[in-house]
Amino acid sequence: MVDPILQADSYQLAKKLMDSSALRQQAIAANIANAETPGYHRVDVSSDFALQLKSTYETGGVAAATKSSLQPVLAEDKDARAVTPDGNNVGVERELLAMNRNSVEYGFEAEVVSQNIKQLKIAITGMPS
Amino acid sequence: MDLIPGIDITAGALAAQKTRLDIVAQNIANAQTTRTPAGGPYQREQVNFETELLNRTDGANSLLQSVKVSSITTDKTPGQTIYDPSHPDAGPDGTVKMPNVNLAYEMVDLITASRAYEANLSFAKDARELAMKTLEIGK
Repeated sequence: MVDPILQADSYQLAKKLMDSSALRQQAIAANIANAETPGYHRVDVSSDFALQLKSTYETGGVAAATKSSLQPVLAEDKDARAVTPDGNNVGVERELLAMNRNSVEYGFEAEVVSQNIKQLKIAITGMPS
Repeated sequence: MDLIPGIDITAGALAAQKTRLDIVAQNIANAQTTRTPAGGPYQREQVNFETELLNRTDGANSLLQSVKVSSITTDKTPGQTIYDPSHPDAGPDGTVKMPNVNLAYEMVDLITASRAYEANLSFAKDARELAMKTLEIGK
């Protein structure tokens, strides 16, 4: 009986995107840590994840989009250009800005998940929060 | 995965940058040292960074690497030789071999290391906020 609330599109998609944001946070950690390691290439969540998620959602609905085979994975960022002669292509400012943006996205996704769960509480107790 | 995403990676980076700061401090402190236990003037040292694959339980993401100090190497280029016969370490021709520490270079290295340390710290702070947001779900 509580399933319909927890099957809501926004809840399912937000959960998936939270996984992706958490993974991106770790990727940014690795990039900042290796900002001066010779030959290091920056990594990020592969850009097809967002595109795949969007296209499967548009064609198959939320059930197809959130099946567990579609997972965010890390890949070397092909678009980053070499910054230093030793082949390291991490820009610390760019990583810190990406980190800021990722934080806000994660906060938004956590809020969506949270609001869905609170709806359940309202349904059970009959009282808001 | 840890509760705070990426914190083990940042821990490795903070340790590596701190080692680098220690070596810079050692170089600056010994910028005028003309006699060492090994004989000869002090030769500056430098740290070399290398990526380190962390031992994690979820082996899925082997692209996530931390950083460590792979070695501390001695810079063998000879320093200046100055002429000062009154110096206690002067050679038979009155010249003294000085350390190869260039203070300008060491100061820039110090600033770079501090900046890298701060960037990692700001990341740790942000990651902690993410973890707190996660803990507030449903509240």
